[in-house]
Amino acid sequence: MKDQQSYFEKADFQSNLPKQFLIMFFGIVLVLYEVGLAQWPFFYGASPYLSLIFLYFIMIYHDELMPIVTVFIMGLVSDLLMSDVLGGRATAMMLLCYAMRMGILRLQQSEFMDLWLGFAVSCAAVTLFQLIVFSLINLAVPALSPLLFQSGFTLILFPIGFVMMFSVQRLLQTLRVTR
Amino acid sequence: MRSSDKTKIRHRRIAHVALIFISFSLMFVGKADLVAMRDARMSSNDFLAPVIDFVSAPIRGVETMADGIRTVASLRAENVRLQAENDLLQRWRRRAEILESENQQLRSVTGTVTYENRRLITARAVTAPGGSFAHTVLIAIGDEDGIVAGDPVITSNGLVGVVYEVGRAYARVLMISDINSRIPVMLASSSWPGLTIGRNSEYLELKFLPAEAQPAIGELVLTSGHGGVLPAGLAVGRVQRADGDYVEVRPAVDFRNLGYVSILIGGTEGVDRSEFSQGSFFTPLPVEDDKRLLEGLNASGTRQ
Repeated sequence: MKDQQSYFEKADFQSNLPKQFLIMFFGIVLVLYEVGLAQWPFFYGASPYLSLIFLYFIMIYHDELMPIVTVFIMGLVSDLLMSDVLGGRATAMMLLCYAMRMGILRLQQSEFMDLWLGFAVSCAAVTLFQLIVFSLINLAVPALSPLLFQSGFTLILFPIGFVMMFSVQRLLQTLRVTR
Repeated sequence: MRSSDKTKIRHRRIAHVALIFISFSLMFVGKADLVAMRDARMSSNDFLAPVIDFVSAPIRGVETMADGIRTVASLRAENVRLQAENDLLQRWRRRAEILESENQQLRSVTGTVTYENRRLITARAVTAPGGSFAHTVLIAIGDEDGIVAGDPVITSNGLVGVVYEVGRAYARVLMISDINSRIPVMLASSSWPGLTIGRNSEYLELKFLPAEAQPAIGELVLTSGHGGVLPAGLAVGRVQRADGDYVEVRPAVDFRNLGYVSILIGGTEGVDRSEFSQGSFFTPLPVEDDKRLLEGLNASGTRQ
């Protein structure tokens, strides 16, 4: 027989599940958008990691809305559509999430410059992980200049992405207060 | 902390470890190129391709708009350039007609075997290579239209790559610039055979040239037709740099502006297509060992 408490748990109106679905949907759309960006000749073969910026922001300020399954699905969709090593980016992003969760409090209290630096390290780590896996599996090293361009451009886009997401967050908070 | 919370946390940890394990295993299972994995990958591409097509519509719109502005700005200069190019092409057309007739006469004399039973289908490129680890393109055509793995993909400028995964309505093309791509080629002027190897970058590397070969800068590189998968004579690129053993080739096709491509269907009868996979389908063996793929006269004038 079930205890009384478990029935009350089901009626949890403050559940994060709808928000988590929304974040997953937005994350996947962002991955698709990232793949689509490659159609611009400027980003040929090296479209910026928009999904990584999104992941970094959500992990710092709303980590409860980003379950590891979302990260896995985002990585897997990206691997499938970009025809990369299947699971390579998914694993890299999941490991990054774990690493971020360990120092989440420090990140939440950091200045923007420290966050940017942290993002640079994260971006480099994800790229390096993928590069190592790719080289081990294919026994070949791809051209490094597109990789550097990809990471470099993502770093340039980080402040823009960060400000945009912060603005959306503020807007949502304002709407909630006025309602 | 309640015992139900503890159980929840334990379950979550187990799920996390399982997910990382699955993700890690996928890297090796994916590389093993299992038929089931390939089918799953292509089915998911079939499912995701229309979505990505929809999502990237605004991106294409912006690109078309920017292209339009550029075109309008350079309309006069473009017109002058096109007129000059048209005059040149008219002269080349007359020359080509003469050469074609001469070529046909020579073929009838030497009895050269040609592959003429291929037909063209045009398809739209849905994606472009977005990462540095793979140079592939998803095209809006699948096995419903009769394409199979190994079919060459071209534009009017030359070779783009080879189809390597075919779904119901979409197929994936491995471009010649991909690190797994190996194309048997020959230098157009000196006829030395070689192999172009992709580097996941803008240029290809030309390897396995004979020691005597001296590729000239700007020399055209064509497919040699060895292996029977690709027809001979498709433009691959031009020699960009020749530094000792290192020869760099600039692809004939500008991959950054790949809107539509053509797929050459058929014409590979007699080639074993059962083992087509990303790493090995560029050098398939003929089914019958005694069947020659190239016929002609050798250096001493004897027919081979």
